[in-house]
Amino acid sequence: MTYTRRQFIGTLGATTALIGAPSILRAQSQGTFRIGALCPVTGSGSPFGSGMQKMIIAAAEAVNAAGGAAGRKIEIVSEDTQTNPQAAVLAAKKLIDVNKVQAILGTWSSGVSLAVVPLTNDANIILMNTSGAPALSVPPANAKGLSYRFQATNDRFGRAFAEICEKEGFKRPATMAFNNASGIGNTEGFRKAWEAKGHKVVENVVYEPNQPTYRSELQKVLAANPDVIVTGSYLADTTIIMREWYQSGQPVKWVMPGWAASPDLVKAVGPDVVEGVISVDSVSNENAPSYKAYDEAYRKVTGQPGQSNVYAAMTWDMVHALALAIEAANGTDTAAINAKIREVSNPAGQQVYTYAEAKEALKKGKINFEGASSVLDFDQYGDVTPDFGVFFIEGGQLNRRYVVKI
Amino acid sequence: MFYAQLLVNGLVQGLVIGLAALSITLVFGIARFPNAATGDFMTFGAYAALSAHKATGSIAMGGLAAIIATGVISLLAYLAVFRRLAERSVVALLVASIGIAFFIRAVLGVAFGHSQQVFQVPLSRPYVFGSVRITPLDLQLAAVALAALALVFAILYLTPIGRQMRAVADNRDLARVSGIRPDRVMIALWLLAGSVAGVAGMMLGIKTIVTPEFGWEMLLPAFTAAILGGIGSPVGAVVAGLILGVVQEVSTPLVGFTYKIALAFIIMLAVLLVRPRGLFGRLEGAR
Repeated sequence: MTYTRRQFIGTLGATTALIGAPSILRAQSQGTFRIGALCPVTGSGSPFGSGMQKMIIAAAEAVNAAGGAAGRKIEIVSEDTQTNPQAAVLAAKKLIDVNKVQAILGTWSSGVSLAVVPLTNDANIILMNTSGAPALSVPPANAKGLSYRFQATNDRFGRAFAEICEKEGFKRPATMAFNNASGIGNTEGFRKAWEAKGHKVVENVVYEPNQPTYRSELQKVLAANPDVIVTGSYLADTTIIMREWYQSGQPVKWVMPGWAASPDLVKAVGPDVVEGVISVDSVSNENAPSYKAYDEAYRKVTGQPGQSNVYAAMTWDMVHALALAIEAANGTDTAAINAKIREVSNPAGQQVYTYAEAKEALKKGKINFEGASSVLDFDQYGDVTPDFGVFFIEGGQLNRRYVVKI
Repeated sequence: MFYAQLLVNGLVQGLVIGLAALSITLVFGIARFPNAATGDFMTFGAYAALSAHKATGSIAMGGLAAIIATGVISLLAYLAVFRRLAERSVVALLVASIGIAFFIRAVLGVAFGHSQQVFQVPLSRPYVFGSVRITPLDLQLAAVALAALALVFAILYLTPIGRQMRAVADNRDLARVSGIRPDRVMIALWLLAGSVAGVAGMMLGIKTIVTPEFGWEMLLPAFTAAILGGIGSPVGAVVAGLILGVVQEVSTPLVGFTYKIALAFIIMLAVLLVRPRGLFGRLEGAR
């Protein structure tokens, strides 16, 4: 192929235009605040991801309908993490460098959030996640205090597990954890809380993902004769473990996080295998007017009840908290917005539940936004403390028996 | 007895690895490149078996579907891509196989979605021998694997086309001079390699769960087994798969569950240092 100088210059020009394009885009976006909706649309987070993304868009519409934040419209750019850290980093890079987003919302699963947070820190923008890993609370991940978590930490899940085990009268718990920050966070949180109550854990096993069988791991745990096994696990590995445990024939009870012991697990292994399994998940702030607004929006967009996706309630709250902080800061400077997030969400102040109502109240004084996912009070690490629902799997149904507060 | 149970666990795991390694080593012995699409051929086989199982309710039909469909897809990959690149370097073929792997995974993802699917097989209590527990499902899967192996070895060692395949594997030019048509050999090879991968995929799928990525994740242990066994040696691949499975499981009381995977690679390193051609491999002169 021959290549003339004219062609070369033409290509050069086109390339320059392409590289220059983001700044042209930015020039057009003076009156908007751009947010990246980075959710797990595919991969193991796929049961939740698309609903999460839709609620970011719906909440942004609610904000824009009330006149936007600090005089600006909220604009959403959507990307998929594929529930995979590598894919999430590529998507986050694109959102930051090409789309010039000023905040990223909606990352799910700790591996993804831990991979994305260095990028948002470098770009000095806010990251709001729904992940549990304790490492997200502290430096280096949250060195700049720009990361907010709308889900309970794995440590808090562990504390809830310990409360439940005590209430149910278990004496000899063992743990099984998927080898990542979230899995081990759950079981370590449990172990600490359980030992603080003066009890002992009889066995701890950490296992690797993507194994064809977990029989040896089970063998080790069951050899300690536990009366309950507490897990920090995901759906795929839990499916294999539950089938192999059932075949072993040794009776034991299970306490699991809700993302593992979900209706999908019942469907995968059948109701007999998971009968009596205790599934624990954070519950939304179901009696609040903000939850009612979220539930309506969720039903309208997906046709499902809002209860079917606790993470969508979290992403709904993300947009609200962020937009209120922008309004309170009266500008789009990240440092100024960041300084206002706790101010608009935490007590004291007038309790508010919708964006329009909050925006009005903000003119008069201090507000306290109460979210759909929790009362949304951030501690010094940017973490919230939701309540935990305790679900018993009975005849293939997840029945909520009680709520645990920690 | 604790170790006896671990040994059984390891054997079952090793059979799956061994079948996948067999598919890799067949292709390497005859077509002379490492086929990175093997893992996704397995995934394809698992989905084929899953669909047939859902439609007919019979695992046997599922197995048949896995064998036929994966054999065909493997042959198509050869006709569309690998044949055209046959004269290129190993790297070109390897990269092409990675491309085919991505393609198959993406198509399966679009067609079946990314959420996990499972074979709805009835769960049954294990047979207990002393303190060793063996589930009926594992026995059935072992029987299927052994039958598949027996069939492959019968084809390789008892049929004219098998003899021709081994001749091409031994010395391609000499085989051609002796009147062996490479085209027929290659078609037989890709059908066989695909079918073996399909069976391995179905077995893994029945034992675990099926997602579009699950075969790809088995590729590393399968490659390890193929190298350990002596690349190009069918017997070596199967034996090495069993060794890997057993060593990983039996070592767990000593090294724990996190490092058992690393152990497989330490064994491979040791074998390559002491015996670079692998357990059953032959020395080859430089070309």
